[in-house]
Amino acid sequence: MKTWKSKIAGVTLASLFAVALSACGNSNSNSNSDASASPSAASPAASAANADPVTLTMLVSGAKAAEGADFELDTLPKLVKEKFPNVTLEVQKLPDEQYYTSVKAKLAAGEGPDIFLVFPKLANMGAIEVAKAGYAADLSGLSFWDKVSKAAASDMSYEGKPYAVAKGMDILGTYYNKDLFAKAGVTELPKDWPSFLAAADKLKAAGITPIVMGDKDPWVVQFGMYQLAANTVYPTDPEFDNKLQTGETALTDAKWVETVNQYKELYDKGYVVKGSLGMASAQASQQFIDGKAAMIFTGTWDLPGLAAKGAVDFERGFFSLPGNKSGEPLYASASTAAGYALNANSKHLDLGKQIFEYLYDGQSPLFQAWVDSNPSISVYNGVELKNEIFKDVLSEIQSTGNAFYFSNQMWPAGVSDVMQSKFAEIIGGKKTTAEDVTKAMQDKYKELNKG
Amino acid sequence: MNSAVMRKTMYYFVLPALLFYCLFWIIPILKLFQYSVTDYNGYVQKFNYVGFDNFKNLFQSEILGLSIKNTLIYTFITVVLGNIIALALAFLLNANIRAKGFYRSAFYIPTLFSAIVVGFIWSYVYMPDEGLIASFLNKIGITGFDTNFLGSYSKALYSIIAVDIWKNIGTSTIIFLAGLQTVPHDLIEAGKIDGAGRWKLVRFIKIPMLATSITINVTLSVINGLKAFDYPFIMTNGGPGTSTNTLIFAMYKMAFTDQQFGKASALGIISFALIIAITAIFVFTLNRREVSA
Repeated sequence: MKTWKSKIAGVTLASLFAVALSACGNSNSNSNSDASASPSAASPAASAANADPVTLTMLVSGAKAAEGADFELDTLPKLVKEKFPNVTLEVQKLPDEQYYTSVKAKLAAGEGPDIFLVFPKLANMGAIEVAKAGYAADLSGLSFWDKVSKAAASDMSYEGKPYAVAKGMDILGTYYNKDLFAKAGVTELPKDWPSFLAAADKLKAAGITPIVMGDKDPWVVQFGMYQLAANTVYPTDPEFDNKLQTGETALTDAKWVETVNQYKELYDKGYVVKGSLGMASAQASQQFIDGKAAMIFTGTWDLPGLAAKGAVDFERGFFSLPGNKSGEPLYASASTAAGYALNANSKHLDLGKQIFEYLYDGQSPLFQAWVDSNPSISVYNGVELKNEIFKDVLSEIQSTGNAFYFSNQMWPAGVSDVMQSKFAEIIGGKKTTAEDVTKAMQDKYKELNKG
Repeated sequence: MNSAVMRKTMYYFVLPALLFYCLFWIIPILKLFQYSVTDYNGYVQKFNYVGFDNFKNLFQSEILGLSIKNTLIYTFITVVLGNIIALALAFLLNANIRAKGFYRSAFYIPTLFSAIVVGFIWSYVYMPDEGLIASFLNKIGITGFDTNFLGSYSKALYSIIAVDIWKNIGTSTIIFLAGLQTVPHDLIEAGKIDGAGRWKLVRFIKIPMLATSITINVTLSVINGLKAFDYPFIMTNGGPGTSTNTLIFAMYKMAFTDQQFGKASALGIISFALIIAITAIFVFTLNRREVSA
């Protein structure tokens, strides 16, 4: 009895084992054939771009357009398909934080998207970093570089070679509610720090919340801070960040302490909405468009959200937060925007380059669609400024050249986070001083900076 | 009869599973130890070995102590408060009340939502001035109370703990409820005959009989508390400042925002040691109690 049972069991198990083994064998041989097939499929893919169906992947960051077609998600794949019928472009769009995480993990695993978004200089996912790591392809061979502004190209370059095509230029500024300004009797736009404080004071006295910030999303601290830094840190020392790298100076420098103190002043004097730490940036934008606060600090990219219709109708304006002392010139905070890069290890690199040539040729329907949908200010020669609201600030920058980049573009990712979390302590009413904030920033900088 | 052969063959069947287990579980864990002594940034494949710098760095930074403290507070409150409330609820829902089924499902519903949904809803509930709580307090005439729950250094952590308890109370309640159903009726009757009042029945019969449920619930909530990440991530982003950083959140932030995979790995190892220590203490004490119960 026992032998009979164990025999059956043995046979069953043995057959199971055999099945399992053969299954393994199958899957092995499958994956082998896959692996051997793909390289051979890959090499002719580029040359035979018009024949075999090819799928390209693209990963970008941002929010989907609130209404109408989204350029990256809808228009781009459609127009690419029209020009290259065999090419399917699969686009994924993620919120910023998730984008950083996801694209890095994919690149590190060797499964990076064919096209991805890169930020200027040393920022998180910055051009220098991705180029150094060998993830982004050298784009210097492409034909359209003479039509792109030199500054934009150089911000995306590493060792003199461009690795991404910037979408344009972004300006940090102060959106304001013209009606509320008029109501409070602020007739002239503030041109320096004392007059800005005076204007905020007038608004407050008139019972209007001068500034709304969604500090629950900590990164918004940067939007005001970099505008102040552009006036307080860089004008007297344009090489500040280079000296920072060599250790000649530090973020604990008096200039940065002053910058932080300036921003702190806005909170100390109660110009920023109370309880901002409990308010997300979307909620803050809503307050602004509902006419409940007179100003909000953010960049040109936020125009669609801030121009949306709220509870009341009012006219919007845009100016650079004047951190300058009276009598000194006002500097704007403007930087090259993010741009698309090609994966250096892509199987379809040549095809990607062909798409780029088409996208940036200056006349194709795809180029037009790109220009029309782009909220940033174009750095492409001959493209007109679309959004009137930015005209004054932009022409000021163009005529005087008074502008500096966003400070975090020269910092390793992580320094701005420390700045935000330390500054949040000030907002939260802790006894943290500007010196504490700059010291924490410097410590982080020293820890992360590897020259 | 031929059992010796049988046993040997059996071992081979473990191989595929073991292989996968090693490949996707053991090796990554060992990798963690390797990365913890490097300056790997999670991204550029070239990295240097930096010895114990990461650990030294962590022990000097305030984030380690802070996130351990927050995690322990989080765990302690969710374990104690969560279980006491769940136990009380279980007693209530076990009583003979009308619409028992309705109440039971009502308390279980929050558990069914994903943390993302719950976090989002509660961020609106907690919104200063215009959130549900703030407007409710306004309606009933309580003003001057600071309703900035998530934006305040002293309240943010407790506010998210409350959400965690609210969400997970259903599971604990169900387990307690199931335990209560298994308390033998004859024991309760015997107690009644001996003249035990309602409180004595609970204290000396029902709660001791629930020992296993308590062990399960406490263990589950300890684990849940020690790996707290969802609500700091969704509701406060670790803020204001760093005041709601838990161990896991700090690790995530370090790895993915600061791009310090090496340092994050070191933090991972420290928390690994800490969690093992805490779990060991719990398992030992609870086991002992259960045996005696």
